[in-house]
Amino acid sequence: MAAPRYIADPEDQVRIVALDGLSVIFHAPSGMTHIVAPPTPEILTALRKGPADAAELLRRLSAHYEIEGDDVAARLNELEAAGLVRRA
Amino acid sequence: MSDSEQDETGAGAVMPSRRTVLVLGAAAASTVVTIRPALAQTAGSVLNCEIPVPGPHAAGSYIGADGTPVAAGTPGAAPPLARPLSGEQARVLLRGSTPPGVNPQSAQAYANYIRRLQAGMSGFTCYASLQMPR
Repeated sequence: MAAPRYIADPEDQVRIVALDGLSVIFHAPSGMTHIVAPPTPEILTALRKGPADAAELLRRLSAHYEIEGDDVAARLNELEAAGLVRRA
Repeated sequence: MSDSEQDETGAGAVMPSRRTVLVLGAAAASTVVTIRPALAQTAGSVLNCEIPVPGPHAAGSYIGADGTPVAAGTPGAAPPLARPLSGEQARVLLRGSTPPGVNPQSAQAYANYIRRLQAGMSGFTCYASLQMPR
């Protein structure tokens, strides 16, 4: 079975404000506000380039960051539960 | 971040011009706290969340005045709390007061411990929620 691919809402529907070490995200489609820690903002930014599965997302992030840990699937599951990403 | 120049992407996230470390974290570590639109429900859930002092990673340790876990019995350090702090108790502590059930002489150490919580540590999401203005 192919790995699930995820997509994030466009930038104009998700307001991200960086605070001291955390970020606050207002997700306009749901009206929900989230307090998030890294790597959530980075994942959302990377997914705006188009749908990606966990492996592709890891590749995109690796282009900009030194990655520690490989549990990107857990982060995607968490973001899907929060409504910040959805299956493409 | 002193060794990296950064530029805003406009999306709120920062893409580094030099490579910086991004920690993906463990499966059990949560990086998202959702504030639901029903403000009364949010206030209730925040105030009922719990912060163990110290968390399981430092079980049995005392808490030094600066909030760091230290060896049990360290002179001047605060003993671990028998039960987790509620969100309301934590909020009182962070305001510099002492909630009921907490030794006033230990309150500052516990408050500093809470301020040192980081993503992935038990109680962090509760602490982060307390930072949100209501």
